[in-house]
Amino acid sequence: VTAPGLYLHVPFCSRICPYCDFAVRTARPERRERFVEWLLREIELNRGKLLGADTVYFGGGTPSSLAPGQLARILEAIQTHLAVVEGAWIFLEVNPEDVSVEALRAWRGLGVRTLSLGVQSFEDRVLAFLGRRHEREQARRSVRLAREAGFHTVSADLIYGLPGQSPAEWRGDLEEAMRLAPDHISCYQLTVHHGTHFGRQKARGRLQEMSEDQQAELFDFTHRFLAEAGYPGYEASNFARSAEHQSRHNRKYWDHTPYLGLGPSAHSFADNHRWWNCRQLETWEEKLDAGEPPVEASETLGPGELGLETLMLGFRTYAGVDLSRFRVRFGFDLLETSASLVERFKDEGLLFLEGDRLKPTIAGLAIADRLAVSFDLAPLTLSAARS
Amino acid sequence: VVNYRVASVYSTPRESPALSRIRNFCIIAHIDHGKSTLADRLIQRCGAVEERDFRDQILDSMDIERERGITIKSNTITLLYQARDGLEYHLNLIDTPGHVDFSHEVRRSLMSCEGALLLVDASQGVEAQTVANMYLALEYDLTLIPVINKIDLPAADVDRVSQEIEEDLGLDASEAVKVSAKLGTGIDDLLEAIVTRLPAPSGDPEAPLRALIFDAQYDAYRGVVLLCRVKEGTLAPGQAIRLMNTQKEYGVEEVGLMKLKRVKAPELQAGAVGYVIANIKTVRDIAIGDTITDAARPAAEPLPGYKEAKPVVFASFYPMSTDEYEDLAKALDKLALNDAALTFEKDSSVALGFGFRCGFLGLLHLDVVQERLKREYDLSLLISAPSVRYRITLKTGEAKLVDNPSLYPDPMTIERAEEPYIKATVLMPERYLGTVMELCRERRGLNSTFHYLSVGRIELISELPLAEVLFDFYDRLKTLTQGYGSFDYEILDYREADLVKVDILVNGERVDALSQLVHREKARQRALHYCERLAETIPRQQFKIAIQGAVGGQIIARTTINPFRKDVTAKCYGGDITRKRKLLEKQKEGKKKMKMVGAVEIPQSAFVAVLKTDDSS
Repeated sequence: VTAPGLYLHVPFCSRICPYCDFAVRTARPERRERFVEWLLREIELNRGKLLGADTVYFGGGTPSSLAPGQLARILEAIQTHLAVVEGAWIFLEVNPEDVSVEALRAWRGLGVRTLSLGVQSFEDRVLAFLGRRHEREQARRSVRLAREAGFHTVSADLIYGLPGQSPAEWRGDLEEAMRLAPDHISCYQLTVHHGTHFGRQKARGRLQEMSEDQQAELFDFTHRFLAEAGYPGYEASNFARSAEHQSRHNRKYWDHTPYLGLGPSAHSFADNHRWWNCRQLETWEEKLDAGEPPVEASETLGPGELGLETLMLGFRTYAGVDLSRFRVRFGFDLLETSASLVERFKDEGLLFLEGDRLKPTIAGLAIADRLAVSFDLAPLTLSAARS
Repeated sequence: VVNYRVASVYSTPRESPALSRIRNFCIIAHIDHGKSTLADRLIQRCGAVEERDFRDQILDSMDIERERGITIKSNTITLLYQARDGLEYHLNLIDTPGHVDFSHEVRRSLMSCEGALLLVDASQGVEAQTVANMYLALEYDLTLIPVINKIDLPAADVDRVSQEIEEDLGLDASEAVKVSAKLGTGIDDLLEAIVTRLPAPSGDPEAPLRALIFDAQYDAYRGVVLLCRVKEGTLAPGQAIRLMNTQKEYGVEEVGLMKLKRVKAPELQAGAVGYVIANIKTVRDIAIGDTITDAARPAAEPLPGYKEAKPVVFASFYPMSTDEYEDLAKALDKLALNDAALTFEKDSSVALGFGFRCGFLGLLHLDVVQERLKREYDLSLLISAPSVRYRITLKTGEAKLVDNPSLYPDPMTIERAEEPYIKATVLMPERYLGTVMELCRERRGLNSTFHYLSVGRIELISELPLAEVLFDFYDRLKTLTQGYGSFDYEILDYREADLVKVDILVNGERVDALSQLVHREKARQRALHYCERLAETIPRQQFKIAIQGAVGGQIIARTTINPFRKDVTAKCYGGDITRKRKLLEKQKEGKKKMKMVGAVEIPQSAFVAVLKTDDSS
């Protein structure tokens, strides 16, 4: 049995990136302090729930927009009320412009073991396009300093697949990252979301997304390049120097381990039940003020939903879908019910069997969502209807 | 001079007017020359409708007629006009469809009249349907009044159009009445011309009854309402009537005049145009063009002009979702109540399920039926490629009519195949002759001839396979002639055709709804067109999809659709897995709605795009 994870959403950024569709906003220091107070309240409100988390993830937004003292108070509260284990793995997302020797020292002092840097690119032109506040030099410096500061894992986030980006340009970013030698890299292909600045640009015809074929080529290139460079992928967008640098926290989302999410828009999952907080900071605060859980909605997942998620999440990881676990959880054998489909996917070089696991190839990973919907999960909907 | 005849049976004060006070006329025109607007003006000028009840195209009762500015059903209205001679006249305006698909209706309307207004647009001039309709009117011996409409337009060229009326039509242009139906200019002169220049009807009210059915409407409460022109004798309630072609007998319940609404009358006498209600359940029971006679004192001969309206274009209609099949069946039944030319029978496709094979008078008729099913019955449909009816003679000597590719016999058993030909008439400015001749050649046209009408204008006549006209001929003609070419046709005869059946295969499986009978020369072109359309509209799937066009076992065209290469959410953490899963669930739901051919999901939009005929080339 894996211990639960804890996610804390810090909804502040000094500037809203044009591609971002997370719950974020800009705020003055007083506003941030008020948020911390409310978050402490929410932690208290969840006292006794999902005890014993062994991973704590500060995400956002920009968690580095909070002062180390504020982070410390949050960490203290979760230990008190949620019995987070001693030496839990703490992840902190930070922006390169917030990185300094002092800040790094403070974060280390808080027990942060994985520092995740929002580098996005090493090209000034690209950084400007993405609306980032840092420049190439800051990005490089932040990775170097973070490595010197002695974190267990230093991770760099990169974005690729930008409109008009050539494979050579992207390769340049990856090569620069290799020279800086972080322990972990996340490479996210740009998704233009409805409701973002890029989304509006696209609707007006001012931004053209990369074609599917080009995206696929860059995806394939990224996985091959990084594997060769000593960073084998373990998920569609994640690569690590070795297994110990893979994200212990994100893994929990992918295999239905319970997790508790606090802060605006944070999601939680336990016992086939998922619930999520109000997205708006104000609404979240108002509910807390009224002494209510700031939950916007919840759902109970039936076998059909859990089955689809298992495939959707499984096929986006190198580990694939654990067939025996699937059999135990859902009561039927995927290889039996979808024998010809699996054969076909194998023939097409999208899936392969290894031991008791059905694993995606790189081409398979690139279409993980498509693979997931292709499987006939009718046995599950039937059993759900019966129960 | 009051010359009302006293009715023998009814002693009401509202008796039939003298024949000399009746004028029966219709308006004939090329499409868009302003026929309905002119009718509107005449109706308003005669005060047949209160101003507040007036709406444009008042005689067109269907939404689709009003929106497209076309007339599909014939209609009639009796106008009371106080002429300059101080007398009141009954002007019976019979509104006719303008489109070639409905030419049988035009004929019957013409047969009910003594005169016609030949309407010509002052900027467009004489066009193909103007000529065709004029010849029809002359065939029925009608007196014509040329009317030049839209004289208010900046582009109006009355002198040129007058010249065309003289030279293309051979009519005296000095007799033309110049109007602007839109502004109401010249309407009084026109009404006066109708009274003074068109002949009054003749006919003996005491003779054995002969009345021509020129259209029928369906009324949910009263059943079929026949619109007719009484040529001889008298029609009155209580009378037993016989329809001379079908030999069916009915009792007349009600007769009257059409004044936008039905207005009861004690009788309809020779010369009158009006309606008859006789407890007739559906339009299937009657035949438009039939003659009504008195069952007790029948006429010796029916009126000439009965000709069954035979469908010439066929297509299969499938409901988008299979549970709408029953609804489609009911809707077609209802439409057929009011549309005797529409035929349908059950059909089924492996890819599309159950549907109906329907027959139409032409593409416009098809389009109208489809649109009404969609609009009035809220049905979404898939429609197979339209086909003509082929005549197949088997080696055994047996002859068959085949309009459905799925019923096409094994080619080895076929001795001979024949297809319908039309005589196409195109009117255009001289400068387009070359390109239009080329278009006719492309479309396998034979015996193309042309002659000059007025200066610079040409009438081209070509014998074309009807099948070649079904695919975007008219649109191409319009494009090639920059809108100046006009087109009309009549069915000629059947001629031998080198026919093949083109199948479309998706990953090796035949999509039966896409099979087509085409001329061998056109097979590759058509197959490639279909393959390309499918390749554009079938979304990528997890496997490669091969799309092929085949004749027999031979592949004559192919395209492929590459599989999905990128379909994965970049970020799937923060724990918001619900949203992503819901997207996938939606996708899965969407898949269910797709038509499966083998393992390939074909969205309905692909069928729609492929089967569209208007922009193929």
